[in-house]
Amino acid sequence: MTKGLDQAVDAGDAEKLRAIVREARIVVCCGAGGVGKTTTSGALALAAASLGRKVLVLTIDPSKRLAETLGVSRNPPKPVPVELERLGLAGRGASAGSLDAWMLDPKLIADEAVRRIVRNPTEVEKLLQNRIYQSVTTMVAGMHEYTAMQALHRFVEENRYDLVVLDTPPSRHALDFLEAPGRLSRFLDGRVFRMFMPSEQGSSAFGGLKRAAGGLVHRVLNGVLGPEFSSDLTVFFGVFAGVLGTISRDVTGMREFLSRPEVSFLLISSPAAAALEEALFFQDKTRELKLPFRGFLLNRSHAADAERAFPDAAGLSPSGGELSPAARSGLEKLGRLAAAERELITRDQKLLGDLKRRAGEGGFAVALPTLSFAPAADGGRDELAALGMLAKRILGTAH
Amino acid sequence: MQFDSLLGKRIVLITGKGGVGRSSVTAAIAQAAARAGKRVLVTEMADGAGQSKHSEYDDEPHNAAIHEYSPLARLFGRERLPERKEELMPGISGSLLLPLYGHELFLTSVFRVAAIAKAALHSEALRRLFQAAPSLREIGIFYCLLTFLQAKHADGGFENELILVDMPATGHALALTGLPRTLINMVARGPIADALREGQAYLTDPAQSATYVVTLPEALPVSETLELLEGLKSSNMPIGGVILNHVPRDPFTAEERREVAGMLDAAHAKEKGVLGEQSFRYFDEAKRETERLEREIKVPLLRLPDAPPGCGSLVSFLADSLLGGSP
Repeated sequence: MTKGLDQAVDAGDAEKLRAIVREARIVVCCGAGGVGKTTTSGALALAAASLGRKVLVLTIDPSKRLAETLGVSRNPPKPVPVELERLGLAGRGASAGSLDAWMLDPKLIADEAVRRIVRNPTEVEKLLQNRIYQSVTTMVAGMHEYTAMQALHRFVEENRYDLVVLDTPPSRHALDFLEAPGRLSRFLDGRVFRMFMPSEQGSSAFGGLKRAAGGLVHRVLNGVLGPEFSSDLTVFFGVFAGVLGTISRDVTGMREFLSRPEVSFLLISSPAAAALEEALFFQDKTRELKLPFRGFLLNRSHAADAERAFPDAAGLSPSGGELSPAARSGLEKLGRLAAAERELITRDQKLLGDLKRRAGEGGFAVALPTLSFAPAADGGRDELAALGMLAKRILGTAH
Repeated sequence: MQFDSLLGKRIVLITGKGGVGRSSVTAAIAQAAARAGKRVLVTEMADGAGQSKHSEYDDEPHNAAIHEYSPLARLFGRERLPERKEELMPGISGSLLLPLYGHELFLTSVFRVAAIAKAALHSEALRRLFQAAPSLREIGIFYCLLTFLQAKHADGGFENELILVDMPATGHALALTGLPRTLINMVARGPIADALREGQAYLTDPAQSATYVVTLPEALPVSETLELLEGLKSSNMPIGGVILNHVPRDPFTAEERREVAGMLDAAHAKEKGVLGEQSFRYFDEAKRETERLEREIKVPLLRLPDAPPGCGSLVSFLADSLLGGSP
């Protein structure tokens, strides 16, 4: 008997998830922090690789966990292959799949973009050395997300992988940069830049007004923030304007690219109320942005444990036959824990049903269990093996 | 006692990954401190877009206002923390850290006249610049915080004796703690630079400031906490300790545990899982992970027990636990 997801949910929903693992070109995982988004991305990627696909999993999670789990170091300059053999997940010969993992360094990617877009090497250096630029890649909201999507775009265009799985940053703003009135685009607003463009010296009818506004800005900046900051800002806006123009066009193209049918947005949640609220928020967001939402994954869910039996029904008894007093009281306490777990199962099944309704026609909701870790040879936990188990559950091949 | 050490600070940053109960712990610390007679201010950063969705400065159309709420504010019966300091309950006030409010404050301190500062901020050009330019948002947040730290009553006592900051769930916590240095590096001279230095002096003084990391006695949260502590070290921020939330009470005696484990192992041959086993094993994990944390960290560990079912208010329960010492 297999112990996949089918008992936990409508078998049709488990199959819809498997179809994504088999066929999708791009999977974008969104959700709140702490719901196991990175783990789920890793497991989905592993599952696809075990079916013989060439898979890349991209993350910009500031935690180095996924990278460590998958056995790759932090922020390597390019994707690193993951050893699949010991999981018993790798296919053989021509059908062999592969899994690469890459943890993006947003700074690295932004620098690359600057070099690509700004052709003049002096200008490139001026920008890369600019103190404001140096902080922009870590401070401007949306920059991380943008760089991740850009990397995603590039890998898909290059056609090196059958499937790219993107683990988005744990922020409800993960998709904001795709919106027109978002912060990144406000940042792109030409009006701000023009104030800093040295060439613009009021030839138009509004020139005087502009100069006056510019004068105020410069007075405030010089007086309040100091002349260094002010001059840094001028250099920054001057050189970065061109880069941002390109980024702005990219974002438009990316939105089109992300709304293609071969893309799947999966929303990951745990049963916690706050996490669910985020998942529903993301669903609204995907609708609003017309992105292909496919379904919900309810992580750490007891709904996946529905087939478990109560201790007495499972015939729990001591090997010696007679129940010692400690065994009897122990079993009693276990019984109480079992009753509490049963309640959680009921709660999570109801939750899963609610999510399924929210997912609507064609959408799905699948429950995934809490990861269980087997001790590794070195005394730590075998996190890769746990991911492998989760991948097998997704595929319905766990024993 | 460990909580007394927290009570002696002026500013406490509470951080930790999503799902560990950071906001409940923040509210509990506020309640416990208020009961201990402190004037407490709870704060959090305004939403990532730069300000709350209904700010007086904010004339941008919003389409993301749905589901907008703060878990911390909800524990005080509100959807969001107020934009200007307001009492949330006796002894506890709350305020968002609004970048634009910070900008107004620092412009006021420079121009000396609030009306000029307001006028400057209502200049389209300057307002747009402040919203868009990198690091100005952070400077604004930082200045807000500094103003709260320095505010005094007429009698000379601090208006906000203890300021709690519920830090964002993501890696941005690290970004903020490293912020003063980054900003000072950028804004080398001028009144803001001086203010930033002053703020940094507060934040890096172990007598006045402490960062606490909230976590759970589980494998991944403990690993992430160790990683976060490592990162915090390089930021020069004094680390107050780790707050271990939801520590379960193991009801089994050692003998019962042995018997039950034996029976469960024997039942495993039958492949179907047994209800109750996951919870049973969780006690082991919690114990193992607590020990790992104790072994690896060099800062105090505060434990907050799992609330028993039907205990009423979680926040009051946690506040009791904090004041009662480590149970």
